[in-house]
Amino acid sequence: MTKWLSVFGFIALAASAEPVLVTGGEYTPAILLDESVQTLVMADFKLDATPVTYAQYLEFVKANPKWQRANAAAIFHDGNYLISWPGNTEIPEGYAKRAVTEVSWFAARAYCNAQGGRLPTLDEWEYASSQYLQQQQMSDQDYAQMLFGRHSNPTAYSQQPLDVNSKELAHMHNRVNEWVEDFQLMLTSGDNNDILSSSCGDSARFMADFGDASYATFFRYQSRSNYRAQSTTSTLGFRCAYDME
Amino acid sequence: MKNFVKTALASALLVSFAGCTGVVDANVPLKHDSEYVIDGKIYGMPKAKIYRDEYNGPAVVGDYVTMVPHLAELDYEGNKEHEVRMDVFSQNVEVAPGVSYNAWTFGGSVPGPVLHVREGDRVVFKMKNRSTEEVVITKPFKGAAPYYNQVAANQLQKHNPVVAPMPHSMDFHSGTVAANDKWATIAPGETIEFEWIANYAGTYMYHCGTSSVLMHTAMGQYGAVVVSPKEGYPTDDQVDQEYVIVQSELYLEQMGDSYIYDHSAALARDPSHVVFNGHVSSLSENPLKANEGDRVRIHFLNAGPSGTSSFHVIGAIFDMVWAEGDPRNTWYGMQTVLLGASSSATVEFIVPEEGVYKLVDHEFADAERGAAGALYAGPRKK
Repeated sequence: MTKWLSVFGFIALAASAEPVLVTGGEYTPAILLDESVQTLVMADFKLDATPVTYAQYLEFVKANPKWQRANAAAIFHDGNYLISWPGNTEIPEGYAKRAVTEVSWFAARAYCNAQGGRLPTLDEWEYASSQYLQQQQMSDQDYAQMLFGRHSNPTAYSQQPLDVNSKELAHMHNRVNEWVEDFQLMLTSGDNNDILSSSCGDSARFMADFGDASYATFFRYQSRSNYRAQSTTSTLGFRCAYDME
Repeated sequence: MKNFVKTALASALLVSFAGCTGVVDANVPLKHDSEYVIDGKIYGMPKAKIYRDEYNGPAVVGDYVTMVPHLAELDYEGNKEHEVRMDVFSQNVEVAPGVSYNAWTFGGSVPGPVLHVREGDRVVFKMKNRSTEEVVITKPFKGAAPYYNQVAANQLQKHNPVVAPMPHSMDFHSGTVAANDKWATIAPGETIEFEWIANYAGTYMYHCGTSSVLMHTAMGQYGAVVVSPKEGYPTDDQVDQEYVIVQSELYLEQMGDSYIYDHSAALARDPSHVVFNGHVSSLSENPLKANEGDRVRIHFLNAGPSGTSSFHVIGAIFDMVWAEGDPRNTWYGMQTVLLGASSSATVEFIVPEEGVYKLVDHEFADAERGAAGALYAGPRKK
């Protein structure tokens, strides 16, 4: 499945990468959310090459004052929304090219809607990640080490600038954890709560294989599903997806 | 909440009629309408509360909450309600000379604080997920548990605050509750509050129960609760020194200048370090102290997450051993106590002579990786 990503998109935002085409195809997820479904068929879609930057998010709040820090409705965040910003329309110095964080799922959705897009689904994000890893030819071990390395020191990763001119998918694993539309799909706090997983360590029932890479991927599912839609942290960002026209 | 006071005396009497002697009255008053009593033990705690607040006070609160190897003295009669807080946040800790990592912690240290209560006590527990904050634990804080001053006085782990946002939870093995309610995972910024009754005497593990539990525990989220028996251990009046040791494995690999968690090693049960009280040098830099002729009691918990421990004191024999710390489980004259992951024993030995007594996990692959310490015995005083 290496029909590879081609450059796509016409909207040239200031200092931002353009969305790239993720070509659809068959996909075997590392984590089996439905035991009767081993393989998914993914349609084409577009995905931002990088996480949304502070500079991009600043443009968004300028155009949408209701999403400025002081104006965002309390029910849409946990109280720490954009907490590091010195002002409503002012980002911290030196942050322009970093992945924006301190955004809730609600805020991330609003941003993507304003761009004519949406948050990617969990399957879309993971499918893009699997293609990205193939393209990078990263070994399972290196991938696992990168992910556990980021979990061990997430602040150091989230503060690195993004390659904002990337023509390909970039920074899927080495900057921030990313919101997806159905982040609470399973496991712990979601609607589809698995009975054994809310306070238990088992994972074998969900895993297609027991390699290093699958465990690293599974931990992303596990930790992501434990956030609330209001959660904002300094290491949780997002990128947007777009339907094909 | 209405203060619903009644003792479990009636229940205990009924049980006595049924022929079971020695059933102890639960003197802790029932507090919530949902509560009930079986065999003198209280069940039916109310639902946990999860909320957000602006709390930025001390991260560890409770008069009987200490840092290993210390155990607070229970200076009250009968039973008591304890207000306990152990916030969850990240901290860079050293676990061997030159080896430190960003731990996920309860209260900032690895292992977390020791809570001491008496069988039958009620614990009202609060925990805020402060993993998005830099929490300093090395300075005294008004209203903090004795743990704070003990950490300030013992800087072996070189605690340094770090921000590592992550959902977490708390699972007290000493509590008998519905885990899906009380041990629920909370997101950064949230606080969980729940109650449990120390229904059973013993030394119990607590840990984070959020998936991957292997990773969360291996990252440092565990500690000990010592529930002293209501009627005490038979040797209480002979014990000269009382300590707590928590053994655990660390699975670290070097990445650049620092160390990170190695999940493959954790799955393979191939630890980089096995430690007593969170550092390969904990009990050699700060050895336990006693005198010749003393009776020493150690509450020993093997936190794992996956290994066993064969605890042994070189030069001594465990005169008394209570498996899991329950005084009904008495063993005598043991050279080594074998403990699975999350198992404990309360052991006692007589210090035979002035000298140095090595404490080891007699599984020497573990001792070689750090599971060793010492007790220094001074001259006889009696």
